Amino acid sequence: MLKKIFVSGIVQGVGFRPFVYNIAEKNNLTGYVKNKGNFVEIIVNGNSNDIDNFIRNLKEEKPVLSKINNLKIENMDLKDLKNNNLSELKDEFKIYSSQNVDNDVAGTIPPDVGLCEDCVRELKAKGDLRYNYPFIACVNCGPRFTVIKKLPYDRENTSMDKFPLCEECQEEYKNPNNRRFHAQANCCEKCGPKVFLTDSKGKILFEKESAIKKTVELLENGKIIAIKGIGGTHLVCDANNDEAVLELRKRLNRPTQAFAIMSTEDKYKLFSEPTELEDNALNSYRKPIVALKKKENEYGKHISKNISNLDTLGVMLPYSGLHYLLFDKCTSYVMTSANLPGLPMAITNDKIIESLKNIADYFLLHDRDIVNRCDDSVLKQISGRMMLLRRSRGYAPEPIEIDFSKNGLLNNKNNNKNNNILSKNILSVGAELNSVACLSKGNKFYMTQYIGNTSKYETYNYLKDAVHNILRLTNTNKLDMIVCDLHPQFNSKKFANELSKEYGTKLYDVQHHEAHVYSLMGDNEFFEPNITIALDGLGYGKDGNIWGGELLYCDEKYDIHRVGHLEEQLQLGGDLSTKYPIRMLFSILSKKIGLEKSFEFIKGYIGEYPELTEKELKLIKMQIKSGLNTSITTSTGRFLDSIASLLSICFKKTYDGEPSIRLEAFANNCSISEKKQILELVENKDYSKYIDYENNIINTTQIVYDCYEMLQNVAFSKNGIAYYAHLTLSHCLVGISIKCAENLNIKTIGLTGGVTYNKIITEHIVTKLKNKGFKVLLHKNVPNGDGGIAFGQALGYILKNEL
Amino acid sequence: MKITRMHGAGGKVMQNLIGDVILGSLSTTQVNGGIGLQDLDDGSTIPIGDNEIVFTVDGHTVDPIFFKGGDIGRISVCGTVNDLSVMGAKPLALSMSFVLPEGFDIEQLKEIMASINLACEEAGVAVITGDTKVSNVSDIIISSAGIGIVEKGKAIRDKGMKEGDSIIVTGNLAEHGLTILLSREGFDMESDLKSDVAPVNGLIQSVLSSGITINAMKDPTRGGLADSLNEMAEKSGLGVTLQEDKIPLSEEVKFISEALGIDPLTVANEGKVVMAIPKKDAEKALEIIKEHPLGKNAQIVGDVTSEHKGVIMETLVGKRVVDTPIGDPIPRVC
Ligand SMILES: [Fe+3]
Ligand SMILES: [Mg+2]
Ligand SMILES: [Zn+2]
Ligand SMILES: [Zn+2]
Repeated sequence: MLKKIFVSGIVQGVGFRPFVYNIAEKNNLTGYVKNKGNFVEIIVNGNSNDIDNFIRNLKEEKPVLSKINNLKIENMDLKDLKNNNLSELKDEFKIYSSQNVDNDVAGTIPPDVGLCEDCVRELKAKGDLRYNYPFIACVNCGPRFTVIKKLPYDRENTSMDKFPLCEECQEEYKNPNNRRFHAQANCCEKCGPKVFLTDSKGKILFEKESAIKKTVELLENGKIIAIKGIGGTHLVCDANNDEAVLELRKRLNRPTQAFAIMSTEDKYKLFSEPTELEDNALNSYRKPIVALKKKENEYGKHISKNISNLDTLGVMLPYSGLHYLLFDKCTSYVMTSANLPGLPMAITNDKIIESLKNIADYFLLHDRDIVNRCDDSVLKQISGRMMLLRRSRGYAPEPIEIDFSKNGLLNNKNNNKNNNILSKNILSVGAELNSVACLSKGNKFYMTQYIGNTSKYETYNYLKDAVHNILRLTNTNKLDMIVCDLHPQFNSKKFANELSKEYGTKLYDVQHHEAHVYSLMGDNEFFEPNITIALDGLGYGKDGNIWGGELLYCDEKYDIHRVGHLEEQLQLGGDLSTKYPIRMLFSILSKKIGLEKSFEFIKGYIGEYPELTEKELKLIKMQIKSGLNTSITTSTGRFLDSIASLLSICFKKTYDGEPSIRLEAFANNCSISEKKQILELVENKDYSKYIDYENNIINTTQIVYDCYEMLQNVAFSKNGIAYYAHLTLSHCLVGISIKCAENLNIKTIGLTGGVTYNKIITEHIVTKLKNKGFKVLLHKNVPNGDGGIAFGQALGYILKNEL
Repeated sequence: MKITRMHGAGGKVMQNLIGDVILGSLSTTQVNGGIGLQDLDDGSTIPIGDNEIVFTVDGHTVDPIFFKGGDIGRISVCGTVNDLSVMGAKPLALSMSFVLPEGFDIEQLKEIMASINLACEEAGVAVITGDTKVSNVSDIIISSAGIGIVEKGKAIRDKGMKEGDSIIVTGNLAEHGLTILLSREGFDMESDLKSDVAPVNGLIQSVLSSGITINAMKDPTRGGLADSLNEMAEKSGLGVTLQEDKIPLSEEVKFISEALGIDPLTVANEGKVVMAIPKKDAEKALEIIKEHPLGKNAQIVGDVTSEHKGVIMETLVGKRVVDTPIGDPIPRVC
C-alpha cells in the first residue's frame, strides 16, 4: 500500500523530518519525507496496518516544538511512484533535502527556542564536543526565526550559511539517530561562530573562551558590557552592584524604568516570589521575562534596590549557551535591550559599537549575523492567568489560529464567502506605540516581533523591514487588503498607504478601541455579541476626539457601538500632557474648584521638578481658559496620570505609562487593613455622583476631587488614596457595564486595552463581574495593549467584510 | 461636505480642496508656456520677450487685524511682495481690494492705509490699482495682487532643489503665527514676541545679485517650515534631512511653544524665506543673508538627499518624520 501525506503547521526546524524517518523505520515503511518549505510531504510504502500505526505515531509522538495544523492523506498507486521516477525508494526510507518553494500556502517558521536540558548538560560536561561552547544547539532548541533569511528552513537559508559543518558536526547532522540530525543551527567550537571581546573602539581584546572568562570578570568588577546574543543585544551589568546599576541608568538616560534581570534556575527565588503559573512561564522553552513579586525582605540582599521602583521585578532565565556561561559569582545580571529609548536595538557589530560606545565599557560580540531582530517577550500574571505585555522572542512569528467555525460562525452565513476568507491575505499595520504588524492568511494570524514606537523614523523603518520579512517568510506575494488605524498622523498609516499602492489593494481602517475589542474576541475565539471595556492611553475616536476609557457594545453584525465612556477632559498641548501629568490634574481640578483655585493649588508643586515654573503655569492657565491647542480625551491613562501627579508619585513620564504604572505599585503598598477600609468605603458609596446613568459616563472629575480632598485631611495615607482611585474607577466601570449588559441582554463582558495590565483594576472588575454571573473575556495569547491592535485590525476587517 | 477651518489651515486638507475643487474646474490655467496655476507655485509667469511677468494674488483675513509687529495692511503688502520675491522676481506693483464690513471705523482704515504705504516704501513697490466694497463680512478682508518681473527662464521654482543642496532658513521661526494665536486667544503675557511680517525682496536680491544660484525657494507662511519643506521635497522627488539643533528659534518662541505643546515648525511666518542652495555656495550665502537686517538669525538647517522622501529631522534622540501638518495637531503618544 502506498500513501502520500501532507503535513503543515510548525514542521520546520523542530526535528520533524528526522522524527518522520524514525517512525517510518519503526513501522517498516519505505518512502521519503521532503521539506516543501511551507509543509512536509511524506510518501510511505508498506502494509496498511503499519501505515495506520505510522499515522497514529505522527499525530501522537510528534516533537515537542512541532505543531500539526493540517494533515492530508492521499492514496497512491505504485504506478504513480514509477512515473515519478521514485522507484528506488522501494527499499528504504529517505530524507530529501528541501525543494524549491514556489507555493503560497501558509507555512510556519518556529520561534527561537531556549536551550534544552540535554544541551545545558553537554555545555557543562567537561570533554564534551561543545563543553563551554556558547552556540550549542540541537534540533530541539536554539535560534530559528532570528537566523532565517528565507524559506525553507535549511542551513543555506540562515545566517549559519557561512559556517560549513566540520566532520564531527556533519556526522551528527547526517545521523538519523542523533539529536542533531538535520539541526540547521548545529555547530561546534571548530566550525561554528565564535565570540570576541572588544573595547569601545572595536579593538579585539580576547577571543573564544577567554573572551567569556574576561567578560565574567569585568562584570563581577562592576563594568557595563554590551552583549550580542541570539536575536538582539543586551546591556549587561551585575544586578547587585548599586554603582554599576546607577551608572547604567545615567549613561542610558533612564532614571526610573525598571531593568529586566537574568538569573539562574537555582537563584531567582532568593529575591522573588513566583506563583506556580509564573514559574511555569519563566521556565518554559519560550524563556520570556516574567514580572515577579519582589521578596520584600530578601530582595535588597541579592539585588540592587535601583533595579526596580515597582513592587515587581522582570526576571528571565538564560536561554542560550552564552547566557549560561556568564554566570559564576553573580546571582543575576541586568539584561536590558541595548537601544536608546524608542529606537530599535542594534544588531550588527558595527552598529552596536557605534551606538553604544558611550554606554558600554566593553563589547562581547560574535560573528554570526542576526537576521531578524527580536526583543525579549514580557509576561505578567493578572487575574489568574499569564498575560503578554510584549509578544516577541519565543513567540514570533508563530501564528495564532482562529477556528472560525466556533460559535457557528462559518455556518451562519453565506458559504461562498467563507471559503473565500481562507485564501485571503490581509496585512494590518497596528497603531503607533508598541507597534506590531500582523499578516493574516486565511485563519492564521502572523504577528510580527515587537517593533516599538514608530513615530521614530528608525523604528518606522524597522516596521517596514519586519513586514517585508514576514511576507518573505510566509511566501506571500499578494495582499488582498491593508488595514490601519484611524489616526490621521500615525506613521503606520503612511506605510499602509504606501503598501496599498505597491500591492494595488484597498485600504481599510479600524478605530483603535474597536480593534482592541476585535482582538479580544479573536483571542478568545468568541464571536457573539458582547460588551467590552477598553481602557488605555489613547486612540483616535470616531468623533475626532481622543478616546481611552470606552464601553463598547459589539452587536451580532460585529458593528461596535460606543455605549459609555469616561468623562471628557481637556488634554492640554497634546502629547505634552502625557509627558507632564500635572497638566491633566490642573485641567481636571479646575472644572471642580475653579481655574484660580486650581492654579493656586498646582503652584504648590513648583520645585517638585525643574520644568515647572509659575510662568509656565500661567500659560497653561490661559490654555485651559482659551482651549488653544487642546484636545478632548476620555483616556483612562490620563485620568490615572492626574492622580499620580496629585500624589507626587510621578511628574514626568520617562517611559510609556510610567505615571500609572508607578501609581499602581504605590497603591499596592497600601497596608492590608487600610485596603479593607477603602474597599468598604468604595462598596458602600452612593454612585449617583460618580456615574451619569443616563449616558453611562463616569465622572472622573469627582474621583480626582475626592482624592484631592482626602489629601487635605489626613484620614488616609497617600497609598490609600491611590488605592481608592483605582477601586472607585473600577467600581464605576463595573456599574455602567452591568447596566448596559442588562439593558441589551448581554451575558459576556470583556476587558482589553493597555490599562488592563493594571492588576488592581482588572482583578477588581473581573471579580465583581464574575460574582454577578457574567462570563468575562480576558486576553491570553494576544497582548492587551497596542501590541494586539494589528491582530484586532485584521479581525475587524474579516468580521465586518468577509463573514 | 462643508468648508471647515481646516480647509484654510495650509495643510493636507487645504491641498486637497485646491486640487479637487478649484484646479479641477478650470480648463485653461497657463499662458505662453509660463508657470501656471497647475504648478501651485508661489506665483505664475507670463513670458514676454526676454522677460517673464510674474503674477500672484493673496487674500488676507487676520484676527485680530492689529497685532504686535504689524496689522492686516502690512501683511497684505508683504504677503504678495514675498510671493513674487520667492519666485526670484523683482516686485513692481500691487493692487489692493478691500471688502469692508458695515460700521467699520474709518480711523482704523486710515491706520491700515498708513501701514500699507509704509510697507510699500520698504519693499519699493507701488499700489497702482484698487477696489472697495462694503458687504456683510465680519471683519475687513484685503485682497492684493502683485506683478513682478524676472529674466526669462530665471524664475525660481518650488520644485527646483537638487541632491546635496543645503537648506537655509533666513531667521527665527514661528513668530508671526504665535503672536496671532496668543493675541486672538487673549493671552496677556509680558513678552517680546511680535510678528516678523516684512518684505523679503531686498534680502533675496542681495543673495541673487552676488551670483549665487538659488535652486528652490519658498516663504514658509501657513503651515510653517514643515509645510513648505514637504511641498518642496515632494515636488522635487527628493528628501530633506533637518538638524533640530540648527533650527533658528528665539528663546521666547521655544518657551511658549514648548509650554503650549505647539510644534514651531508648523507655525506661520510672514518675513522668512527657506532656500535650497548648492552646498558649495551655502556658507557664502549664509554670510550674505546674515548681513541683511532681516537675516541676522539665518541658519543652514539641513540638506537635500535622495536617500529618503519627505522631511526627516535628526534630534538628540533619533530621527523624527516631519509631516505636512494637517491642521490642528492631535496627540499621538499613549
Ligand atoms: Fe490602545
Ligand atoms: Mg517658489
Ligand atoms: Zn538542545
Ligand atoms: Zn563542528
